[in-house]
This record gives sequence, structure tokens and C-alpha cells, in this order.
Amino acid sequence: MKNALVTGGSGGIGSAICKKLADSGFNVLIHYNSNKEAASRVLSEISTTGGNAGLMQFDITKGEEISNAIEMWKQDNPDNYISVVVNNAGISKDVLMVWMEENDWNSVIETNLKSFYNITTCLLKDMILNKWGRIVSVVSLSGIKGLPGQTNYSAAKAGVIGASKALAQEVGKKNITVNAVAPGYIRTDMVSGLDEKQLKKLIPVNRFGKPEEVADLVSFLTSDEAAYITGEVININGGLYT
Amino acid sequence: MGIEEVKEKVNEFLIEEFELEESQLVPTAIMKDDLDIESLDFVDIAVIVEKDFKIKVTSEEIQKIIKLEDLYNYIFEHYQN
Repeated sequence: MKNALVTGGSGGIGSAICKKLADSGFNVLIHYNSNKEAASRVLSEISTTGGNAGLMQFDITKGEEISNAIEMWKQDNPDNYISVVVNNAGISKDVLMVWMEENDWNSVIETNLKSFYNITTCLLKDMILNKWGRIVSVVSLSGIKGLPGQTNYSAAKAGVIGASKALAQEVGKKNITVNAVAPGYIRTDMVSGLDEKQLKKLIPVNRFGKPEEVADLVSFLTSDEAAYITGEVININGGLYT
Repeated sequence: MGIEEVKEKVNEFLIEEFELEESQLVPTAIMKDDLDIESLDFVDIAVIVEKDFKIKVTSEEIQKIIKLEDLYNYIFEHYQN
């Protein structure tokens, strides 16, 4: 059985990805940092439907914590490896650049971009040795188009896109694909403060997206069928921006 | 372990791991051009060397390996210590 690590596995999009990957036959490692309760709920939902999953705790900004957590998992699973990682965890601290404090910039870059390095370096060697891997990062329209009030978030997500494209070229020969998905407005807590009625007028499909729709796309990218797609950023935004 | 034994072991895993022919494995063969072993392939080599010869390979050292004989010599020298 293949193992998939989903960072931020307890959030709106993250939990949908965890459930979908479990449905697809993966043993899912549901990552959380502080919200163990929410992660445990995802775990029990997966377990009750007959899926395989477990929890993994670490702070994605702390490289040592990540490598310790993964090393512990490896000790328990010496003949196995984590072949799929979905980099989904992230934060936003929206403020216009003119008012932005250095810490708002740094923390968003650390959590959303540096974490790509932290996690990938812990898992990549095993993927190379086993000659199969899938790295999927959840980015954002913000990282492609740039959104006002999100210079930090746009920079971090654009950074992940650049890193994914470069890494895809490094490891393609080893059957490791590296892609990103860029959701537009998806019905999660993150957009709960937004006015869907007004905003949907801007979206050709005329509604916000569902977390399950993002999960379906991520699931496809982690499959064998997606072996020839790499270095791509796939928009999933109802036609808002193409 | 003598140098001949190192050569034999290295050749064995190169044939198996990279689907090379024994005739290609001449000491002066250039890893990248003649054997099509690129930088990323050294990850596999480093792990095998670590496992079979108990030598911890660093990325700095591995980058100095240009020819197959460099790999033989590297392992031979480090295995002695």
C-alpha cells in the first residue's frame, strides 16, 4: 500500500484531500500542527469508511521536527516509504504592502514556501531510490495572478510554483512528478468572510468551488495515470482566471 | 577488501541498478557521458555504497567523482580507514 502525507490535513481542502486519497487506496498520513482534534475527526471518518490513515504532528516551519517525525514513521515502517506528499498547509496574513510588518512577510514565506524545502528534502531521497513519487502543492490564484493585499502570500505561492517547475526537471527521470494546483474561491473557512453572492458574478461557473473538487484533481495527479503530467500548475477556479 | 574486490562489487550494482553491460565498465569510463549516470543517480550510488561498504558519502565528495576509477578509488581509500 502506498503512503501519502497530506500537510494541513485537518483543514477544509486538506481533509477533503485526505478522504479522497484514502478512498483511492492510499494509507494517508494526516498532518496537523496544533489542531489534533480536527485531524482526529478526519482520521475517524476515514477509519469508519474502511480506509487506512494515521496522524502525524509537526510544525512545517521547523525542519528538525519534520525529519524527526518522518524518521519515527520510517522506524515503524522499515520496508515502506512515503511516496506521495501533498503540500497543503499554509497561512495567510493579508495586509496592504504599505502597512505590512516584516513579521507578516517572513511568517507567510516561512510557512508557505520554506516548508516546501523542509518537507521535500525529507522525502525526496526515498522517492528517488524507489523510482516513484508524487509531489503536489496546493498553491493559489494569488501566486499566478497576484492579488492585492497578499504580496507576501502571492510571493510565497509563486515561489512554490517556481520550485515545483525546477524540481520536476530534476527528478522526472526517476518517475517522480511535481505539480501544483491553484484553487480559486473554494467553500472553506478561509473564504467564509467573503460574499459569495457578489463574487460569484465574476466566476464563469457562477459559484464557489467545493473542497472535494480540488481533492479529485489532487487525487488524479497522485495516480499512475498522471505519470506524464509534471511541472504543471493546474487552475481549478470555475474559469475565473485562465 | 582489495581494490579488485571493490571493483567487482561496484560493477555488480552498476549493472543491476543502471542496466549497464559489463563491457562498458572500464575504469576510464566517464560516469556522465559514457555510463549515462547523472548527478541524481549518485543518490542511489551513495545509498548502496553506504549500505555495502559502510561509508558515509557527502555530496561534496561525490561531486568529485568523474570517472569510474574515481569511484573505485574513493571506496577503496575510505573503506581502509
